[in-house]
Amino acid sequence: MEAGPKKAIPVDPEGVAKIINRAERSSLAIGAMILENDRLIEFVERLSKAGISIVATAHSIKYTTERGIPAYKAGVVEVTNLLTDPSWEGFDGKGKPDVLLVMAINLDLENATFESLKNYSDVKSICIDRYFMINATYSFPSLTEEIWIEYLERLCQELGV
Amino acid sequence: MTYKSRKIKIEKVESPSIKIDDMVIEIGEVEEDTWDEAMGPTPKPEWMDLRDWDHKLIEKYEPFYSPTCDMCCLCSFGKCDLTHGKKGACGIDSKTQQARMVALECAIGTAAHGAHARHLLEHLIERLGVDYKIDLGMNIAVEAPIYRTIVGSKPETLGDLREGMDYSEKELQHILSSVHTGQEGSYVDFESKALHAGMIDNLVKEIADIAQIVGYDFPKGDPDAPLADIGYGSVDRKKPVVLFIGHNVAPGAEVITYAEVNDKIDKIEVAGLCCTAHDLQRRRDSAKIIGPMSDQIQFIRSGIADVIVVDEQCVRVDILEEAQKVGAPVIASNDKMGLNLPDRTLDNPDEIVDDLATGRAPGVLIWKPEKVGEVAVKLAEKIAPIRAKYKEGSLPSEEEVKNEAARCVSCEKCQRACPVNLHISPTLKEAANGNFAPLAKLREKCIGCIRCESACQRDIKVLSLIEKAAEAKTYSETYKIRIGRGPILDTEIRNVGAPIVFGEIPGIIAFAGCSNYANGAEEVARMAEEFLKRNYIVVVSGCAAMSIAEYKDENGQTLYERYPGTFDAGGLVNTGSCVSNAHIIGAAIKIPAIFARRNLRGNFEEISDYIFNRVGAVGVVWGAMSQKAISIGTGLNRWGIPIIMGPTGTKYRRLYLGRKDKPEKWKLYDAKTGKKVDGEPAPEHLAYAAESMEEAMVMIAKLVMRPNDTTRQVKLAHYIDLHQRYMGTFPDDVHLFVRTEADIPINAKKKILEIIRKKGWKPRKIPDPTLLERMIMKKKEAGK
Repeated sequence: MEAGPKKAIPVDPEGVAKIINRAERSSLAIGAMILENDRLIEFVERLSKAGISIVATAHSIKYTTERGIPAYKAGVVEVTNLLTDPSWEGFDGKGKPDVLLVMAINLDLENATFESLKNYSDVKSICIDRYFMINATYSFPSLTEEIWIEYLERLCQELGV
Repeated sequence: MTYKSRKIKIEKVESPSIKIDDMVIEIGEVEEDTWDEAMGPTPKPEWMDLRDWDHKLIEKYEPFYSPTCDMCCLCSFGKCDLTHGKKGACGIDSKTQQARMVALECAIGTAAHGAHARHLLEHLIERLGVDYKIDLGMNIAVEAPIYRTIVGSKPETLGDLREGMDYSEKELQHILSSVHTGQEGSYVDFESKALHAGMIDNLVKEIADIAQIVGYDFPKGDPDAPLADIGYGSVDRKKPVVLFIGHNVAPGAEVITYAEVNDKIDKIEVAGLCCTAHDLQRRRDSAKIIGPMSDQIQFIRSGIADVIVVDEQCVRVDILEEAQKVGAPVIASNDKMGLNLPDRTLDNPDEIVDDLATGRAPGVLIWKPEKVGEVAVKLAEKIAPIRAKYKEGSLPSEEEVKNEAARCVSCEKCQRACPVNLHISPTLKEAANGNFAPLAKLREKCIGCIRCESACQRDIKVLSLIEKAAEAKTYSETYKIRIGRGPILDTEIRNVGAPIVFGEIPGIIAFAGCSNYANGAEEVARMAEEFLKRNYIVVVSGCAAMSIAEYKDENGQTLYERYPGTFDAGGLVNTGSCVSNAHIIGAAIKIPAIFARRNLRGNFEEISDYIFNRVGAVGVVWGAMSQKAISIGTGLNRWGIPIIMGPTGTKYRRLYLGRKDKPEKWKLYDAKTGKKVDGEPAPEHLAYAAESMEEAMVMIAKLVMRPNDTTRQVKLAHYIDLHQRYMGTFPDDVHLFVRTEADIPINAKKKILEIIRKKGWKPRKIPDPTLLERMIMKKKEAGK
């Protein structure tokens, strides 16, 4: 993915946990690739229990509903668009997330989200997907699938879930 | 009718009273108006003429930007960093720069279609004469709905079409000039210029297709256009094979003509990739479509093609290099693509053939389509026996595949480079152990860009390995496609106009564009099938039309075999190549013209307002790749037709997104009362990118809703059903789209009423909707 002068800072699971703990409202956007690994939906459930609101993009709402995970449904471009609106008060009307984690979304759309948030919002974006995404604020490095799953496990443990 | 620049030359006249030597009388533009329809407010509109309309759309659907690049590198002030509020040295900010790039992309796409149209038109005028009649048959009286609406005249001859070309070229120059440093400074107006470019794109496509339909005698809106062959397996490789790649059919048509006249048409195979292939088949149904543009490298590497003729647009620019690997000469035939080849246009055809057949020249440039016709046919016959070893098999052997795959070090650079994120390395590991199945499976999603090969540090020819692994299936398959029929008949519009506007036919879904699919071509076919089963009208063109053909059901039939080619509920209408998708917009325009008797002439705003509020059409550009794709889509937007792209669509940097949480955005005029009334987010978005096929299908069903739907029961029933099927839940926004209880699908009325009442739903009147204040005045005047 292309980038300009402002590039993502590589971050490990412990670093992500610190950012989440400091944030007022964290949200996690997941997408159509949520079934690519059997454990991903489990991590979503645990992160939800850590107080992170879930935004299910594409048709992933089907899987969060099946699992009983509370989630808002929106297209990834829709939710990104909302996040760039300073007057938007969040899906629950209680305030806009200041941190957006992103995982299991098509890479082109993930990148579009990061590009848009980087330029037109103050939301901190964090890629917790398998690949380093240069337009996010923070990103996991590019990882093998095994290590990525290990990273997600460490993130959940660090958040106590 | 307009006549341009007629010259009268009198060489010698001698009489007692007068003596003339070499006198030339030149008459400029002469207009003979044989059309009695009143002229509307905007014939040949300049950008400013439709700016208000654009601003109305942009206010409802604010641009969403995702900067593909944070910098501006267009002038020597820069590079300028525009990140997060910074401005460039000229004063431009990031949003304006994104809109500027979109305007530029749309101008490029429009220029490609426009230059294509001009080339075809002038070639056909040269052959057939300026007065050659435009006759699309007895069932098409509105022969050029886009042209009539924009240009404000009715083209009756090929020569008449020049007026539209002249207009479009002038407008394009203005749009392009605004991208220059220190011109436009507002993203809203750049978007307006992108919309203007898109509209011009639609016009020149219509000109190109009308010209080729009448000039080459293509099907003229025939719903029963025959089925023909598509797929690698359809090509008889024992014959000399001439392969065409691109979009401009002129040289290919001449190859067919030459072969017909010289009794060689059954002795050679004429085949094509990308849109030229559609048009070759429209010229002669024995021509073969290999597949969409993404099959270029694969097919060339197969070695089957003896001669490769390239014309314009979407051709691999390294085609010469790839062709040389399999000993296939290249003929460049168009001024868009010279490839640094020698111009042999004026040379003796037999000498050219000799030079190419013996390998003295890897390729040539021939400007005259007729000469391409002669050279390509003779060359194919001569070189086919020489190339026998390539035709028998240019792909690596199974042993070579194993050995090459074993060299992979699993660095995964290929996967990172792959635009569709194919997991290549693990499949190579399997192939190294003799299991080719996972490697073969990659072909279903591969878009043939060979970025994997560029990224590979071991120089493994990944694509060739995939192709070999998938060879048995790929090279044996033949499918059926309905030949591109061109326009929609006026009689068809008469039949469906009312059910579309009243909402009984749930919508018109148009699948168009390239094959840059994020998740394989089959998704397009599966989406088309879903909406065909539900009695939507499905209209297709270009590579999308081909992808739909390459999908068979359990009985071995393609959708073209299962559904009729009529423009009616449950019909699958293949209009043809990219330029033919102008007829999709044409059909939307014909509804107000034929069903509602609205004047088209120079009347863009009123017609677009009608379409926006009443015609439930949605364009789907699932594999958008080229600048043409965004200019086509942006053109659809200006006519009030929303588009949905696949994930790659975000790389154009801009979408037009509505906000259903802002009711003030959806107010519109009730033309009957003149009051501004509450509306609903219908259509919710104007340009959207969906992540998955499932999301797209639900969004399609939602975006066909229009403020005027007399009943919305059918549309809502499909939206709710698709949502429940693919999202597993009841949609949370149904209350926004129910105006009265009559809109609610009967089978779940009680449940739906309960749900929407909890959301605070209250019934409201269905207005006579318009975004144009002047339409209220018309109503008032009419009522006096």
